[in-house]
Amino acid sequence: MRMHELTLKPFTSRRPAVLAGLTILAVVGFVGVGHLVKRFQEQQKALARHLYRQGLTEQQTGKLELALEHFRAALDYDPDNFQYELSLARTLRDSGRTEEAEAYLISLWERAPQNGAVNLALGRLAARQEHIDKVIQYYHNAIYGVWDSDPEQNRLNTWFELVEVLLRLNARPQAQAELMALSASLPPRPESAMRAADLFLQLQDYDHALAEYRRVVQLDHTNAKAAAGTAQAAFKMGRYRTAEHYLEIATKANPHDAQIADMLQTSKLVLQQDPFSRGLSVQERSDRIHIVLKQAGDRLETCMPASGAEANVPQQSNNLSQLKMQWVQMNRRLRRLGTAGESGLGDEVMDLVLQIEQQTTNCPRTVQDQALLLLAQSRAGVEQ
Amino acid sequence: MSDLSPIPPEVSGLSPQEDVGPPTKGGQRWFFAAAPLSEERFFLILAVFVGIFSGLAVVCFRLAIEWTGIGILGPAPEPHNLRVLLAPALGGLVTAILVVHLFPLVRGSGVNQTKAALYIFNGYIPFRTAVGKFITAAIAIGSGHSLGLEDPSLQIGASIASALGRHMDFSRDKLRLLAPIGAAAGLAAAFNAPISAVLFVIEEVIGRWSTAILGSVVLSAISSVVVVRGFLGAQPLFRIPALTVFRPAELLAYIVLGIVGGFAAVVFAKAIGYLRPLLRALPAPTQYLQPALAGLLIGLIGYLGAPQVMGAGYEYIDQAMHDQFTWKILAILAGLKILATTLSFVTGTPGGMFAPTLFVGAMLGGAVGGVERHFYPHLAGTTGTYALVGMGVLFAGFLRAPMTSVFMVIELSGDYSIIVPVIVANAFAYFISRSFQPVPIFDLLTRQDGLELPSLEELREETTLHVEDAMKSPPAPVLNSQETVHHAVAQIQGSASNLFLVRLKPTGWTSINREVLQRFVSEGKGDTTLGSLLASQQLPYLHPDNPLDMALRYVHQTPLVPVVSRADLRKLEGVISSEDVLAKYRAVVN
Repeated sequence: MRMHELTLKPFTSRRPAVLAGLTILAVVGFVGVGHLVKRFQEQQKALARHLYRQGLTEQQTGKLELALEHFRAALDYDPDNFQYELSLARTLRDSGRTEEAEAYLISLWERAPQNGAVNLALGRLAARQEHIDKVIQYYHNAIYGVWDSDPEQNRLNTWFELVEVLLRLNARPQAQAELMALSASLPPRPESAMRAADLFLQLQDYDHALAEYRRVVQLDHTNAKAAAGTAQAAFKMGRYRTAEHYLEIATKANPHDAQIADMLQTSKLVLQQDPFSRGLSVQERSDRIHIVLKQAGDRLETCMPASGAEANVPQQSNNLSQLKMQWVQMNRRLRRLGTAGESGLGDEVMDLVLQIEQQTTNCPRTVQDQALLLLAQSRAGVEQ
Repeated sequence: MSDLSPIPPEVSGLSPQEDVGPPTKGGQRWFFAAAPLSEERFFLILAVFVGIFSGLAVVCFRLAIEWTGIGILGPAPEPHNLRVLLAPALGGLVTAILVVHLFPLVRGSGVNQTKAALYIFNGYIPFRTAVGKFITAAIAIGSGHSLGLEDPSLQIGASIASALGRHMDFSRDKLRLLAPIGAAAGLAAAFNAPISAVLFVIEEVIGRWSTAILGSVVLSAISSVVVVRGFLGAQPLFRIPALTVFRPAELLAYIVLGIVGGFAAVVFAKAIGYLRPLLRALPAPTQYLQPALAGLLIGLIGYLGAPQVMGAGYEYIDQAMHDQFTWKILAILAGLKILATTLSFVTGTPGGMFAPTLFVGAMLGGAVGGVERHFYPHLAGTTGTYALVGMGVLFAGFLRAPMTSVFMVIELSGDYSIIVPVIVANAFAYFISRSFQPVPIFDLLTRQDGLELPSLEELREETTLHVEDAMKSPPAPVLNSQETVHHAVAQIQGSASNLFLVRLKPTGWTSINREVLQRFVSEGKGDTTLGSLLASQQLPYLHPDNPLDMALRYVHQTPLVPVVSRADLRKLEGVISSEDVLAKYRAVVN
């Protein structure tokens, strides 16, 4: 060592020369270490790929814990890998470890705030945590974000998913707003319009649902589901003529669907009994009002509690007795139907029918009763 | 005017320009003439190179540990795997052979060796130590011994700095300082946290603050971190989860953590302090077997279901911070890590204590937080928050570096909202640790090695005597420079003193004795002002808060040194003489 120092001394006493020497040594060091690091990282990445593939296999077979272990190990060996981190975060989220999943996702988001997949994952996490504001924020980021492949379809799916999530979280106004914006920018594809229509139906926005279903039917005449959807929307809106038309198409396509069959029968009955249909003669209108009142009276009789059971439900019994009295009075007044001063009698009958139907909810309801109720409700809606 | 140079330049006769290094040859005005490469500047530049080389060495060290780990343990150690059982034993055996036959100076952590280099060996650390530490610590940690890479990195950095420095033409003081500068670089590179590294080296190794030291240490630490981040990326050692905002009512919860952490630190330190000398006293042939047996026991812990305690364990700290373990598992892991690290360390296996300390702290913090939240579910702190505070707690309690512990947590988390709980918990842990383990762990290890290094904790808390403790009231009267000699003679008539202080205008002090005044009168200068006769004989002065040993530098120059107020240099607070200083020291010693 001493000899070594002696030989270096003349050199090291010249400071600029020392600095030049150290600089050269540093450059050599950088090159050498850079080489080593490169080899190291290549090896680490290969190992990480292997572990990641194992993790994916385990994830697909539902072994989330094992998948997590392998994703973690993969990420240890390739810490910058976006995909590994995203997979780990998604698996963490799916296995209920939301806090850790969020930490990973936030770190990914900080690296790529415009990334659609990351924003979608964060949005799903926020949905799990029921943070509606965050849900909307991250889903919007995802909708307008960058996607590696098939951006148009991914954006569309994300938007639909946002509506579904908002519906699940009972945020109906937000869901409706999103769906209306979405439907305005839908591509002319039946499956997209169908999905939007179904969502409108869930939102009880029957008007828009009907429009979307009709769009589907226009694009694909053979689509029985769309016909059924159109019928359902029309039925809910009280447009029984349209409902009947589409229900008949749907019944032909699916004759064993009991729900469609019931709806069709109900629609037909409503149309047959509606005293306020356009084009009816005075007599026909009068007959229909009589029939409606009679059917309501029959229901009242059927649903009146037996004398022994009255003690159990005194309030209901009282109500039904009053309705019965009203019905009797109405029946008497109905004889003067068409005379001066009784022009609003039809509406009064329908009001009474509605009250009777509403007060007899405990009583089993036939298709006929259902039609009667819809008829009365429809009339009440028109009046309002 | 600096506190450390009480004599103003104009008084001491030094001009500020004379303090910048040697003058240029022949008055040349080229680059080096404009910025001469003085020892100070050269030292600073060398600190950057020390940082660069330390950074490169630490990058290689980390690669070596990873490669060894994958080669010996496999890519992801799992319980009930024979490799996990046997690898640490094998690693321990190989390490022991290398330590006994080739690198006897690489045992233990490396912090003490660096301190010894600074205080005993004039900054000399054999380069062979760096090589030995690199190889043996990589094998030990890579094979699963419960040790960290920070302290070895610190020693490798110090060793590189020492090797570079001893070929240069530096003063002895500079040579001594190079080792801690390298230590800071090594630690910063390993820890990826330059502020904590700088603070640790200053707090635990150097023990004093000065601009010259701080500049070099910071430069080397930053350079090394830049190098490491350039090669290995800027990811932190573990991801910090979102921390909850601290609520004052929760302070009690963190106090409990500080108390538990303090006792855990005591147990940890006591176990090492008790077992290490016992094992070192065993016959020499057992030196081969001790690390192997320790490795076997650690392997057994891993084999039976806790491979988390093997190696440095940063990935498990990360998992603990993200609620991966229940509080029971966290508590078990903390206990097992203390056991495993004690086994590795007391058998002389080369490796560091930083990572295990952080591991134990994180697990303990998470466990305490988990228990507290079990009983008080309204507590807002997450497991991550408690784990992070727990790391600081163990750092303060076990390594006894309270300042570093606080800044480390802040640097790692990047969140200042956690500072209050950290300070409170650390203070409790530090207090408990000091009460039950008066000698800090690094000092204890040094003493076991037969060295007497200054205890920096003792130095920090040593009572310092100040000038105000020894000064006396000034002898009356105090004369003014505007007074004539006749007037001064009249003033001192009734005084028993022989020496009188004279206040100069605008500032400054001098003294005059009775004989000199009489002489001036006899020389016919009775109507001359004192100022015109004495202006060139200014005395140095002190302030009441100056350390007493500073007075020693001046009391031999003049019988009385004026002690003046910092706010008004013409206001005399007292005087001090060599007798006063010595009397005070005698009083303190007796």
